[in-house]
Amino acid sequence: MNASIIGQMAVSGALMGLVYALIAYGFQLTYATSKSINFGQGELVMVSAFFSLTLTNLGFSYWFMVPGGLLFGALLGLVVERAGVRLALEQKSEGWILLTIIIGLFFFSAAENIWGRDDRPFPTPISADPIHFLGVDVTRLELAVAVGVLGIMGLIELFKRRTLLGKAFEAVSADRDAAELMGISATRTVMLSYGLSGAVAALAGILVSPITTVGPTMASAIILKAFSVAVVAGLDSGFGVVLIGMFLGALESLSSYYLGSGWREAPGLILLILALAVRPTGVFGKAIIRKV
Amino acid sequence: MLRQTLYGSLILAALGLQAGDTVKIALTGPFSGGSAPMGTSARDGSKLAIGEINAAGGIQVGAKKMKIEIIERDDEAKNERGALIAQELAAMSDLTGVIGTVNTGVCMAGDKHLQEKGITKIICPAAGSASMTQWANKPDKPGVKDNSIFRFAAHDGIQAAMVVEEAINRKFTKVAVVFDSTNYGVSGRDDMLDQIKKQGNKLEVVAQEKFNIGDKDMTAQLLRAKSAGAQAILIWGIGPELAAVSNGMAKINLKVPLIGGWTLSMSNYIDNAGKNGNGTLMPQTFIEEPITPKAKAFIDGYHKAFKVGRIPSPVAAAQGYDAVYIMAAAVKQAGSTDTKKVKEALEDLKEPVPGVIATWNRPYTKWDPADVTTHEAFRREQTVMGMVKDGRVVFGNDADRERLRKSALSATPAKAKAKKK
Amino acid sequence: MKRILLLRGAELLVFAFLATIPLLVVNPYALGLLTLLAIYGILLIGLDVTVGYLGQVNLAHVAFLGLGAYAAGLAVTKFGLGMGPALLAAMAVGLVLGGLLALPALRLEGPQFALATLSFAALCTTALNELEALTGGAQGLSLSRPPILGHVLTPPLFYWLCMALLALVWMLMRNLLASQWGRAFEALRDSPIATDAMGVGTYQHKVAAFALGSALGGLAGGLYAFNFQYLQPQSFTYDLMIILLLGVVLGGRKSLWGAFVGASVIVLLPNLLSNRLLFQVFSGLGFAGALAAGLRGLVKKTTRPFQALAPGIAMGLLVVGGFFVENTEDWRKAIFAIMLFSVVVGLPEGLMGFLSTFLAKLFRVPHAPLPEPSDIETILPPRAADGSPLLVLEDLKRHFGGVKAVDGLSMIIKSGTIHGLIGPNGSGKSTVVNVISGLYTPTSGRILLRGVPLSSGSLYRVSKSGVARTFQNLQLFGELTTLENVMVALRGVYRSPLPLVLLGLARLEERKAQADALCLLERIGLRDQALIKAKDLTYGAQRFLEVARALARKPDLLILDEPAAGLAHPDVVQLIEIIKRVHKRGISILLIEHHMDVVSELCDIVTVLDGGKVIAEGSPDEVKRHPKVVEAYLGQPTQAENPQPETPRGAEPLPA
Repeated sequence: MNASIIGQMAVSGALMGLVYALIAYGFQLTYATSKSINFGQGELVMVSAFFSLTLTNLGFSYWFMVPGGLLFGALLGLVVERAGVRLALEQKSEGWILLTIIIGLFFFSAAENIWGRDDRPFPTPISADPIHFLGVDVTRLELAVAVGVLGIMGLIELFKRRTLLGKAFEAVSADRDAAELMGISATRTVMLSYGLSGAVAALAGILVSPITTVGPTMASAIILKAFSVAVVAGLDSGFGVVLIGMFLGALESLSSYYLGSGWREAPGLILLILALAVRPTGVFGKAIIRKV
Repeated sequence: MLRQTLYGSLILAALGLQAGDTVKIALTGPFSGGSAPMGTSARDGSKLAIGEINAAGGIQVGAKKMKIEIIERDDEAKNERGALIAQELAAMSDLTGVIGTVNTGVCMAGDKHLQEKGITKIICPAAGSASMTQWANKPDKPGVKDNSIFRFAAHDGIQAAMVVEEAINRKFTKVAVVFDSTNYGVSGRDDMLDQIKKQGNKLEVVAQEKFNIGDKDMTAQLLRAKSAGAQAILIWGIGPELAAVSNGMAKINLKVPLIGGWTLSMSNYIDNAGKNGNGTLMPQTFIEEPITPKAKAFIDGYHKAFKVGRIPSPVAAAQGYDAVYIMAAAVKQAGSTDTKKVKEALEDLKEPVPGVIATWNRPYTKWDPADVTTHEAFRREQTVMGMVKDGRVVFGNDADRERLRKSALSATPAKAKAKKK
Repeated sequence: MKRILLLRGAELLVFAFLATIPLLVVNPYALGLLTLLAIYGILLIGLDVTVGYLGQVNLAHVAFLGLGAYAAGLAVTKFGLGMGPALLAAMAVGLVLGGLLALPALRLEGPQFALATLSFAALCTTALNELEALTGGAQGLSLSRPPILGHVLTPPLFYWLCMALLALVWMLMRNLLASQWGRAFEALRDSPIATDAMGVGTYQHKVAAFALGSALGGLAGGLYAFNFQYLQPQSFTYDLMIILLLGVVLGGRKSLWGAFVGASVIVLLPNLLSNRLLFQVFSGLGFAGALAAGLRGLVKKTTRPFQALAPGIAMGLLVVGGFFVENTEDWRKAIFAIMLFSVVVGLPEGLMGFLSTFLAKLFRVPHAPLPEPSDIETILPPRAADGSPLLVLEDLKRHFGGVKAVDGLSMIIKSGTIHGLIGPNGSGKSTVVNVISGLYTPTSGRILLRGVPLSSGSLYRVSKSGVARTFQNLQLFGELTTLENVMVALRGVYRSPLPLVLLGLARLEERKAQADALCLLERIGLRDQALIKAKDLTYGAQRFLEVARALARKPDLLILDEPAAGLAHPDVVQLIEIIKRVHKRGISILLIEHHMDVVSELCDIVTVLDGGKVIAEGSPDEVKRHPKVVEAYLGQPTQAENPQPETPRGAEPLPA
């Protein structure tokens, strides 16, 4: 087949895959500290995007809107942690799965009623015109997504390694009980991780909205894929999500070209079930030794 | 269990208490979820009309004037909800009629309950062909003898014919057919392929591409259309995904016209496609241009009542509005709120009904299972080609605008029923 | 028996009432709702098997509903089958595909399992949508109810059919879940490792449970198809799945009544919300209830502040919101979310769980009396202790990457002995136990039980061949009672085939199991605590229960992994007594222990490990004086005449 088409498909798929990777990274953050993830993360992406859109419509500039949106996302992350996760963690139950789904449902319905059910365009100063690059058309918007995704992941990793708070984060991830004995508050670290995860979700919303438009259902498809990326890469795989995200995005795009668009997601799903069956902790995850 | 029966009896009691001197009309449709813009526009259009009628004292039923009472039900575009709502409505003894439904699947799952009880329903604003053909004769099964289901929408057959005609008129020979994976999209594809055959196979379909609800990246489908050399894209789907197609075309630099169903006029297409949407063509029953006084009054009324600057789906709103007036005319003619009598009146409306889309002259006739158009109000004449231009839908060609203006102004409306397809 | 009678009576009453409804009410809408209630009831009972009993978030159930519906639909339209065969086909499709999905998916847990099932559901929707030639794709599939014995099913008849099937499913599931199967399902939720180690195959039971739940999903799907008579793939998506999941949780997990209540809420909720007055009444009642319960919890300090207050606040939001919101219909999902939130936080056991505790308190129904304990002679007949080699380890190695946890270990455990295995922390004791019991596969070396190689790497198979173990970190089935913990592990009692169990004809066997288990509990002094949940026992009692549960395996070799860890002195004394009694029955014991006094008192022979290798072996007194042992414990060479060092970490002082 035509090499330039394959290239085009792979590149645009992989760039979209970076968004999956970013949201997947948000899952990793909370999983590291609390072994829990927010099943309503998609609603965080969506509500933050709506909020950012409102900021823009109120006349704030793009560069003010972005931090505003991130802050709002972080706030929502904290709400989820307080209302949906903390109690379950204290009781050492898996109640968080249901509670986060329920909170997501609430956010969804609230957004539907506050902002309307319609999809809306999301203004951005970055142009959507394609640029030609090594025989492949890429829009600046897509490149901005790539830069934003890798940028924030890099920043958070730096934060974890260079600051005291970040080191506390790493300590709790490595061994919660030991960290508590050293005087690090696990609860506060979990809060921090949910806040960061919320901010990451908000950034994903802001980055992807100009491409997908903003609407209550904007994240429902993305979030499932992000979840797949996180689990297939391994919930403790760090930058593994970037590789898996780009791979899954490209695979999807190519299979929709070769198998027909109805089957677009099928190879990814089959691969996912198989990958999990072979390596339950993920491709880049650490194997767990069962201890009793 | 006790609690559950308690609910049940309370609900039944609540339903039973609603007796009174009103004409009960149910408005249904998806008021939440992806098809909500169509559903809510139609509902609000209907509410506007009902508000006008009630403000004027109500409908003259026999000796007294009766106001219209609205029963509103959200089917969420889900078949099960639709079926349950239909069962609920079918169980109401004093219901005059139902107006609504956007999704064909909801009609397929629910309308049989209404049809069994003989409850009059006007399907509005959309629904694919199957919603009516399920009652008609089929090769293996005769259709129903008597049918209380009517439709008030430019059915997909007409629309597909216009889309194909437009492509042929523009001298295209190779087209790509693109559609969404829902009932609506797939039956639209079938209608278009059927029309291409009917109109002499002048178009070669070089690609058939499908997309899912929620898809934002259409690159694969469009690249295939491009590499197959499509000169136009014939499309069937709803708003947000259609916009993704337009934007995807701009991205891969595919500069061919997009022609498709009326949903291309939905605000969520126009807004999200932005400048990439310019030039897109679609059949329309109503265009949000105040070309007639009635249209102006309707548009202004809608904007004011629902505090919007533009109707989310003008076509749906206008159809919802006119459907109420047609139902009201039938109630008046029947002189009764009995749904069966209203059905008979609908099949034989003596007086023309002035609406915002057209003046409706005998829109329906007695049901014939061999011919679904007996219960279809729209003909080719009420439908025009619209075009997206700078964020609004305008007439695709000026001749249509003039024709409509004239027909609206002239006292004798066009003899719609004279020409049958 | 009073309790059973009450329960059966309530069931009978409800179903009798439901059966008479079509005779009393002619409203077809109400009948339609109740038909749907029956269908969802079956569906949720199926879902409860995985969500409640297995404790896994199963997101594929909706796919089995869809597959079942299409299987029934196609059976009727394409193959002209009748309704009965079509329903069977629907069930079979659920059973087979459920089993197939379970094979890979059930190796996973938590989020991974959720994702695998979610992917499967998405795949099914895609397949149903894309296989247009077969399913009609998005255009949908229309079908009609085929007549049964020449009768066309009118709505009341179809309703009776659905209710009858619900009652049947209810009865069968009740019998199954009250049997060893149900216990096994719950056990493997609490501790898959211990379930395997007790000879109840975790994997087999998981797959069976999943397939069973899926088959019920398929059956519900078949009824769904005949109810709506029109199918579309997009009916069976994530949205519905979430509603189903929440229905189970709302109603109450691990409860047939819970599934029934959950189904009622799912079916009736939309109607509740479309009537404003009803909505306000119910939100007001909910608010009052949540507030009262919350305050009570706060005052009595039985719940955490968040747990006590959050439901009240949420319901308050609902009441206040009710005054401001124009159209409650628009906010339906948010309202549903708030109500669920309150239930999940305030009543973790669900509505039914709460209600049943409440009713039990109200009526003070006593538990059915337990049978007299069996005779120990029949359960653990004394066996010959001839001193022949029972378990032989030959050059056993287990490496983790570069760490050589066990490095060339050879030892012989003779029949009828208590063989001690000691060593400082990190010497490889636990790894040895884990390798013998099958949790780890040895890197190299052989393990022979009575001269026959012991299967490696499978707790389940090792357990089957007569080796039982306890766990240093307790692995009890916390949600099961003390009695049930032992009953799960009982060997050679459960012989009835599945059909008999389903029909409730395995009661005798169940009584026998209770009697046997009670006998074992009596030996460890827990007979009077037989009906307490294991998680509520004292720490010492939990340790003893581990031993009793392992004994239920009627083992030849009993491995006790640090049974005295963390025990107070009186408990240690009792433990020694228990072990001695076990030993008297002729059971050989491998004892891993830190407490030197325990080892000295019990063991005939002691093997000392350090760095994964044997450094000494002999009688307790011999090894205590062995220079290498002293060195290993103290980390420095000491004179043999002066073996009274300070206490090594994690070990009792070596007695002089």
